[in-house]
Amino acid sequence: MNYAPTSISPAHSVHTKGAGEIRLVNLTKSFGDMDAVKDINLTIPHGSYCCLLGPSGCGKTTILRMIAGHETPTTGEIYIGDDMVVGKTPVERGTAMMFQSYALFPHLSVLDNVAFYLKMRGVGKEERRTRAREMLERVQLSHLANRMPAQLSGGQQQRVALARSLITNPKVLLLDEPLSALDEFLRLRMRGELKNLQDELGITFVHVTHTQPEAIALADMVVVMDTGRIEQAASANEIYNRPATPYVARFMGGQNVLTGRVESISPTGMVLKSEKGEIFNAPLTGAAPKLGEPVSISMRRDRISISKPQNGKGAQQADAVTGVVDSTEYQGSFVKVSIVLDGGETFVANMPDHEFFAEPVDHGVPVVARWKPEHVHVLSKADTEGTKDPYAGSGH
Amino acid sequence: MSAPALKEGRVSAATLPASRMKMTADSSGRKAWAPYLQVAPLTLVLLLFFAIPVALVVVVSFFRYQMLVGLVPDFTFKNYVDILTNPTNWSLYLSTFKFTIIVLAITFVLGFWISYFLVFHVRNLMTAIALFLICTVPFWTSNIIRMISWRPVLGREGLINQALQGMGVTAQPLDWLLYSDFSVIVAYVHLYTLFMIVPIFNSMARIDKSLLEAAVDGGASRWGVVWNVVLPLSKTGIALGSLFVVTLVMGDFSVVTVMSGGLSGSVTSGMFNDLQFLNYPRAAANAVILLIVVLLIAVAIFRLVDVRKELVR
Amino acid sequence: MALPSYGKRPWTFYVLATLFTLFVIFLYGPMISVLILSFQGPSAALNFPLRDPSLMWFDELFNPRRVGDVPGAFRRSLPLALITMLLTVVIAVTAGFAFRHRFRGATLVFYMAIASLIIPGLVLSIGILVTARFLGLSANWYTTALGAHLSWTLPFGLLIMFAVLGRLSPSYEEASYDLGATRWQTVKDVVLPIVFPGIIAVALFGFTLSYDEFPRSWLTVGTLNTLPLEIWTMTTNVTSPALYALGTVTTIVSFIVIALALGSILLIQRRRSGSS
Repeated sequence: MNYAPTSISPAHSVHTKGAGEIRLVNLTKSFGDMDAVKDINLTIPHGSYCCLLGPSGCGKTTILRMIAGHETPTTGEIYIGDDMVVGKTPVERGTAMMFQSYALFPHLSVLDNVAFYLKMRGVGKEERRTRAREMLERVQLSHLANRMPAQLSGGQQQRVALARSLITNPKVLLLDEPLSALDEFLRLRMRGELKNLQDELGITFVHVTHTQPEAIALADMVVVMDTGRIEQAASANEIYNRPATPYVARFMGGQNVLTGRVESISPTGMVLKSEKGEIFNAPLTGAAPKLGEPVSISMRRDRISISKPQNGKGAQQADAVTGVVDSTEYQGSFVKVSIVLDGGETFVANMPDHEFFAEPVDHGVPVVARWKPEHVHVLSKADTEGTKDPYAGSGH
Repeated sequence: MSAPALKEGRVSAATLPASRMKMTADSSGRKAWAPYLQVAPLTLVLLLFFAIPVALVVVVSFFRYQMLVGLVPDFTFKNYVDILTNPTNWSLYLSTFKFTIIVLAITFVLGFWISYFLVFHVRNLMTAIALFLICTVPFWTSNIIRMISWRPVLGREGLINQALQGMGVTAQPLDWLLYSDFSVIVAYVHLYTLFMIVPIFNSMARIDKSLLEAAVDGGASRWGVVWNVVLPLSKTGIALGSLFVVTLVMGDFSVVTVMSGGLSGSVTSGMFNDLQFLNYPRAAANAVILLIVVLLIAVAIFRLVDVRKELVR
Repeated sequence: MALPSYGKRPWTFYVLATLFTLFVIFLYGPMISVLILSFQGPSAALNFPLRDPSLMWFDELFNPRRVGDVPGAFRRSLPLALITMLLTVVIAVTAGFAFRHRFRGATLVFYMAIASLIIPGLVLSIGILVTARFLGLSANWYTTALGAHLSWTLPFGLLIMFAVLGRLSPSYEEASYDLGATRWQTVKDVVLPIVFPGIIAVALFGFTLSYDEFPRSWLTVGTLNTLPLEIWTMTTNVTSPALYALGTVTTIVSFIVIALALGSILLIQRRRSGSS
């Protein structure tokens, strides 16, 4: 859809700068004795596109629903702008939610769905229909105004849901997995449209998703969650290139995680030794760890080169690991090579296709995987859970 | 497509479960005559004990009645003329309609709000199901027993009168509690509210909860949500419940006979009298008239709402 | 500024919870008072208070001289209900399967079943009696009354089967055929176990609707009464707590049947979900 810059009339956009800032303070939500959200603090700046990212059951939808006012926090506070909004209605909060199922009223026509908010405010029939029609025109659905929701395609339903949310002129738009019900083609298109829309409206978008590429593509701010906690909240670039924790590194994919104990520290870096005796060089960032302390490092999959071991001495070299190729997957521009390390963990190298096909390897071939020390990123938290992989095998 | 939309789409395409199941039939090479064989016993029973009897009632309603002989084949409208010119019958219909409307209103209000409470206010699903079962258990017990169980409650020396007098609210026992229109309505509500609760509960349980949240997002008040979302989406259940209650009250003679103490009558009381004199033709004519009235109401309800869609969903 | 609320229940909850509680009292209160008064002592008072509780009115029930033929009526009602239940299960379940496919006349049979459900019982009673007359048969509990009961229980059973089978995904059967099962094996080992709780529900309806049926029995049982008819006669003739005792006995029978049905459904559900 093509949102003209004037698409939402300025007369409606009365929100001052900062009105759509969301602040969560010590937010906790328990269901019975299970904590879905554990003591979360988070500030989402006004006008940003924020993605809450995590596997199902991590609490991201619960946070969204608490911001929306459809779930009440057990303890903690939620601020939108300067207002503490717990206990307020969605309209008082200035939030609008797009539901995963879209939640279009099945008994109302498209036009009446969009006009619902105006009807609730007591706007007369003619006026609300005129204004709803205008809104439908903006999402280019005016020709479907008299259809019932069941007669629309998934993409059309989503636009109606969007129009119905936007007619409330919200400060914050909350999107619960908005693209999950669409097919791949529509998903990519709607992704672009959502981003454009947010740019134009300048309001805060909070978007819940479990798909990493979606978050990376859309968000100014990605919040990675795991079992009710925030693992990292930062820009997409930061999250992807400098994950804070082994969990984030693994969850975002594209990274390998290794752990070793600090052997020695020099002004320029440190040397780690893994349990199997491999030596890894790592840069020194922030406070220096103590000798003997475990430290986890990560390196991007596309920074790894692999070769066949020479004289069986591969393992003795620093900044390398040895293993056996488990599988190779051709991905178009690169080849994903999965290697089972001697310790049983999986290590992945994404190799440029010309490089791979110059010296192809196949299942069962022993290899050495190598990287340059400057590509090593030190994680702020050591990996204590071994090789636990939240999305085993789903990394891209 | 969204889940509710899918459901809607499927339902509008499938008035009977058949279209949803058709795939099985075709892909597994089922014999085409199998459904006919499967439905044959049901059809046979319905023909023998419903269709033919009803047809014969219509036929007999044109017969002549002769004292001591009984049925005499004929084609006369005398029975209908007798009934329609008798003002007693008109007043019986009037009284039945009065009961029907009052009972419909009470059972609807009770059924709607009790279902609403169970579906949208009880947070634990198992609790809701347990409470729902509590409401349905009396359905499986004897109607007549449930009716007479009001005697020790509403009677002159019944619990309510004892309580009222004990508290000094009234000096004399209230006579209108039992064997009155009041007790008839109490018994109807007692027996038939369930027929409202079950279909409305079913309709409501199928409402996607996010629709309610979407309505709140759109600025609807608590009452606004009920009026604009819950009520319209429960209307098939309401229609079905109304159909049950209307036909049960219209066709009843036991409640009105027992609970009014013979003071009130119903449409069927007329039939009852004719049957005691073995005047089958007139009873049949009366039955045909009642049947037409009930069917007209049923058709009106079916036209208002596609009840079949609800039944087979 | 109003204090923020943290998950407090809305006031409507309390209003509706009160309404619900009152409704349950309304529903069960009278039944419970009958239950209590059936233990009335020799004062034979039909109202509270209960004096000298005894079982004498239950004893009276089995004394045909005083209150009519209760044991005889019970001996007819019970088999009638059981036969009705059995036939309802067999006929409604097979018919339910027929409706999963398109066949000519499906709509007609469906509307006939619905009409049979909503037709006033007395009207149908007259019809069945007249039909029996024309055929030269006499009305009997095991012929005409059985048919009258089936005309009422079958539509109920059919509607339950619609609900049950509507949720049965055809992919179960397809998977079963894929794995080499024959049609009969598929029905026996896949379909029936899945729909079994629904079949119990059909049986429960079949039994209790027949056991308690009055208007449809009234003209069709012939000379010997079923239990509801016996009670109906007693409501006008008997002015002793024996009537309440009879109410208690039949209600207990109903409750046993309900408990058996619901209990077995719960047991199946638990076995399915709890084995893990």
